[in-house]
Amino acid sequence: MKYNNPLPPEGINTSQTSPLKELLLLSTGFIGLIVAAVLVLGLFADKFAQYIPFETEVELSSSFEWDEQKNDVQLYLQTLANQLAMAQDFPKDMSITVHYIDDKTVNAMATLGGHIIIFRGLLEKLNSENAIAMVLAHEIAHIHFRHPIQSLGRDAVISLALSAVGMTAGDTGSILNSTGLLTALSFSREQEQASDYAALQSLKNYYGHINGATDLFEVLMAENSSFTPHITFLSTHPLSENRIKNILNNAHAQGWDTQGKLTSVPKNIQTLIQQQKSRPNPEG
Amino acid sequence: MYDILIFLALMALGYGFGRYAEAKHYKSIIQREQDLQHLPAVSSKVLPKVTHVDNILVSGNVVISVDYFKRFLAMLRNFFGGRITAYETLLDRARREAILRMKEQAKAMGANIIFNVKMETSSIYKGEKDSVGSVEILAYGTALIPKQ
Repeated sequence: MKYNNPLPPEGINTSQTSPLKELLLLSTGFIGLIVAAVLVLGLFADKFAQYIPFETEVELSSSFEWDEQKNDVQLYLQTLANQLAMAQDFPKDMSITVHYIDDKTVNAMATLGGHIIIFRGLLEKLNSENAIAMVLAHEIAHIHFRHPIQSLGRDAVISLALSAVGMTAGDTGSILNSTGLLTALSFSREQEQASDYAALQSLKNYYGHINGATDLFEVLMAENSSFTPHITFLSTHPLSENRIKNILNNAHAQGWDTQGKLTSVPKNIQTLIQQQKSRPNPEG
Repeated sequence: MYDILIFLALMALGYGFGRYAEAKHYKSIIQREQDLQHLPAVSSKVLPKVTHVDNILVSGNVVISVDYFKRFLAMLRNFFGGRITAYETLLDRARREAILRMKEQAKAMGANIIFNVKMETSSIYKGEKDSVGSVEILAYGTALIPKQ
């Protein structure tokens, strides 16, 4: 038998495609898919969020550290918040925790797990219990409507999707940190308006009138015109002027009394706040 | 920003050097295949009934690594599925190079034919997430060397 090795024809075991063309095609498809996925997830995150159980929120928020004060002010705010929650038909399986922070920041916010943070700076400016109730009721409404998880949902879903395909380094933990569970939660204008409206209803149910509800926004407007670097409440909220207008419109449409008798803040609470304010503390 | 620049630089380097090395290698492979055509390597297991020959194991192996550009292309391919054409030329070159080395060894030992040629491939380096970094291709067979 005669053996020989004829030269093999070229190009059978290899494909004659241009690698650059393939790269362009594949990467375009890949980026397109990611963009589409992010868009879809972002679009539906709001809808998915309400199916996330409240317990999950509580769990997520259990690791938060609060630089808070547990004193009579906190107790007073917590009691008021509980009563307002009842006035708002707040779901029985959800809970509100108020954290009072002894700081001059003029701000209040709601975050995951039913936590409400309120700063001394804001309390100083509010002259009646009704005005404080408006702040609390507004934040309770955010929690009631699950706005924090919806807001986080959008960010978290997108970050998770990106990290799943290795586009961003980091684990879920750092995503939760980077989205800033506390301060970076931003609510949409619609969410703010819904909360404003629910807060007004709570005030009406609790006090029988909505007098004092606009105080908050007047304070914020005044604060905004004078120079202060501590206002964060305003930046994520609809213009205070518009909100006052909305409140008055709502009140008019519903026939709510805007001239009822204001409830004053208990004397001991006022004193405590004033003491903390005047205390010589460079950080406070 | 720097990450993107580094990535682009690595891609360009991988592509440029990869293309250059591949063209050069193919040229060399085709030339050597012609030069060694007189020494056939066949996969038949049945040795001819001839006397006065020594049966010697000959082997040739080659280790190849994937360049950055091809790895990225393959990664994208993994996502969509389909033929990883970027790796095809790489493995084709490696397989032919291994056979050529085996033949060169046989030629140096004075053989005039190689029987029972077999090939083996193994991944010798597992990188991040078990991705294949380098592949070894081994070709071996039985060389028939006429007794002096």
